[in-house]
Amino acid sequence: MNVSSLSIGSLTDRPGQNEVPTNSVPAFHSVDLNAAWSFYGELPTLSVESFDFPSEVDVSFSCEFEDLHQWKPIQALPIQISQSLPKTIGFAFPEMPNWNKPDPKVESAQEKTNAVATKPKDGESHESASPPRITRMRPPGDLVRLEDRLYYVLQPPLETIVQSAKLTFPFQPFPYQMEGIAFLFPRAAAILADEMGLGKTMQAITTIRMLLLSNELSNVLLICPKPLVTNWVREFRQWAPEIPVAVIEGDSHKRHWIWNNPQAPVKIANYELMMRDRELIDDGSLQFDLVVLDEAQRIKNRNSTTSEIVRSIPRSRSWALTGTPIENSVEDLVSIFEFLSPGYLNDDMHLKSMGKATRDYVLRRTKDKVLTDMPPKLFRAADLDLTAEQRASYKSAEEEGIIQLNEMGDSLTIQHVFELVLRLKQICNFDPATGASAKLERLEADLEEVAASGQKAIIFSQWVETLDVLTEKLAKYNPLQYHGRIASHKRDGVIDQFKNDPSCKVILMSYGAGAVGLNLQFCHYVFLFDRWWNPAVEDQAINRAHRLGVKQPVTVTRMMSVDTIEQRIHDVLEEKRQLFQSLFAETGTPGNLGLSQKEIFGLFGLTLPKLQTKAA
Amino acid sequence: MKLLRIRMEASKNNGMALGFLTVRKHPVHGYFGGLLVLNHLARPLEFHCTLPVLTTRAQQILYGATLDEFVCGEQIGRALVLKAKSAPSVVFTDTPASLSLRHIHPIPIAAIDGSWHRGSSTFSQPHLDRSDLQVSEVGAHKLMVLPEYRKDLNVFEDLFQSNPPNIDLIEPFGRIEDALKEAHPATKAA
Repeated sequence: MNVSSLSIGSLTDRPGQNEVPTNSVPAFHSVDLNAAWSFYGELPTLSVESFDFPSEVDVSFSCEFEDLHQWKPIQALPIQISQSLPKTIGFAFPEMPNWNKPDPKVESAQEKTNAVATKPKDGESHESASPPRITRMRPPGDLVRLEDRLYYVLQPPLETIVQSAKLTFPFQPFPYQMEGIAFLFPRAAAILADEMGLGKTMQAITTIRMLLLSNELSNVLLICPKPLVTNWVREFRQWAPEIPVAVIEGDSHKRHWIWNNPQAPVKIANYELMMRDRELIDDGSLQFDLVVLDEAQRIKNRNSTTSEIVRSIPRSRSWALTGTPIENSVEDLVSIFEFLSPGYLNDDMHLKSMGKATRDYVLRRTKDKVLTDMPPKLFRAADLDLTAEQRASYKSAEEEGIIQLNEMGDSLTIQHVFELVLRLKQICNFDPATGASAKLERLEADLEEVAASGQKAIIFSQWVETLDVLTEKLAKYNPLQYHGRIASHKRDGVIDQFKNDPSCKVILMSYGAGAVGLNLQFCHYVFLFDRWWNPAVEDQAINRAHRLGVKQPVTVTRMMSVDTIEQRIHDVLEEKRQLFQSLFAETGTPGNLGLSQKEIFGLFGLTLPKLQTKAA
Repeated sequence: MKLLRIRMEASKNNGMALGFLTVRKHPVHGYFGGLLVLNHLARPLEFHCTLPVLTTRAQQILYGATLDEFVCGEQIGRALVLKAKSAPSVVFTDTPASLSLRHIHPIPIAAIDGSWHRGSSTFSQPHLDRSDLQVSEVGAHKLMVLPEYRKDLNVFEDLFQSNPPNIDLIEPFGRIEDALKEAHPATKAA
């Protein structure tokens, strides 16, 4: 059979091309296309059941055949295309977040402040000429129900929420900070582990603020080290002025009243207080929507009473803020997770498994990754020879000490070794007999230069006694002291004076009191007069000055006496620093990052006595 | 990104519902459609999406170059709009092929010029083989409708003059696409 021609007419003449929309489906014809296609010997046979054409469609076949008489009758098979619409899934949002508007008075006052402040305070502001950013919330991995996940996926970008809720900020948050807020917002368990100085406080406060305003939270407890309570209050006032904050303090009656005060949606307590109010916490009458732990490494010892109490607080959400989720070993991280999600991690987990398991819960950014335009930290190694007096004292103390340690035999303990280490380190600072100090000589020379250029400096030491001596020796710089022996209610005054009094060129800080939570970014020189045991603590100290808003490079001078115990410790610390960095890069096998007893004994070439295998 | 940011009093726009319709093609799983209904503050009111839609060989032959229009507008668009309980007053789309929804449903629908240039490694843009779309600048955007329904442009213009929504009109399409990936995890792996 030869086909001369075949045409199917008017197929494109479909319904709905007219001005009047057609809501009803028109009647359909059925046409046997299998028969029509069968004229095409070279085309595949149509396997579909049928075609339906609307009644308006004119389907005609115009065929010219040779030998028409040879054409066999075509069998018609009526088949139809389903008229059903695609299946859908969907949901209505349970209720639109009922955003409580900030207090108009506060808002108005703040808007005025913002209008006046064309430049960001302390250079902290971040002005950007780039197009508006979009920061979306992502559902946490532990949300299973599709509706729950879509609830977060379909929320507007944070920038839109901020705008529509008329939230104001003292300065525009950095994009990475918005990412941090988007990370915290949907999470019931989270660790914000940004490097110090990136604004964990601001991110936490802003997220709390947004959750409170959207009625997703109503009762928040924040626990921080005691010296940082006033800092948190100040930051809340700055970043969430409309949110009432209550500090839990005073005698037991007052504290009891504050704990149960419903008027303050945010309560701030300190770790030290937990012990005293344990009874109140244990009686089960308190319930929080969110508990935030600042400097969460404070609960790294999961057997400590503080850790037990904190874990026992009834709550719906748990967040941990820390720049050092792992100070010494991965057990620190496991301890924090015992607060976030008990039993989720264990000490026996392989490091890779632990990294994979924690990925969705931990957000860590470092300055070099997110603040590429931030002035750098410039490290200067002040490797100094001891003065002759110091060397003589040092040599004598070390030799005598090692002899004594060796003579102790199996009764030798880690405490004995520590005592020798501390004694030698103190000699490295000052000769006990004459007061001679190579470090002080260098420090005085450097401070001359710092003061002459109108700058200020922070000096860290692990001993208050050293700070006392420095106060006397550096009197011409009008030094201030900030350490554990300064009453907490006076500490803010010290910081304010250091910031505002041009005659105060130096602040002397202990690692313990001055390492966390303070904002001293106006200060561009940091001196580590002696070294701490842990590089993470040193980093925290340095980052008091090298943090958001810093305008100039921060020069960090690490003072070290060569050929002494300090140098030996320094070598170990450097190794630890590299190991810490490698853990969050998920490379290598960091193992235990702390100084092991073996390492401490090794500082003096001693061997570890039997039965002493526990890590220091 | 062009933004339409016209301040408004919140009270005036209570009850406003705007539809945002996206249809995307996946090389393996077919067509995916999503309709997000927002209020005037860009907050979601409801969301609907289709299960994957695969066309039959018969449909491909019958509709030819207009297959995408048929699937996006008359099938997916219609199915989703019929599900919306909050009755959006208008529908914006980043899929011009879904403008054919207007043939079978009276709701005004307009494509936003440039909204489909987001780029996606997962989905592709359905095809619309027409060059006669009617264009009007509304706010900061160019809206496009089928020529048969050019009067719909007046509806959009009136909307922006009387109750201008204070939202970015392009941003919601990103949400829908993310939601489609979330609802159909198989698309991520393919």
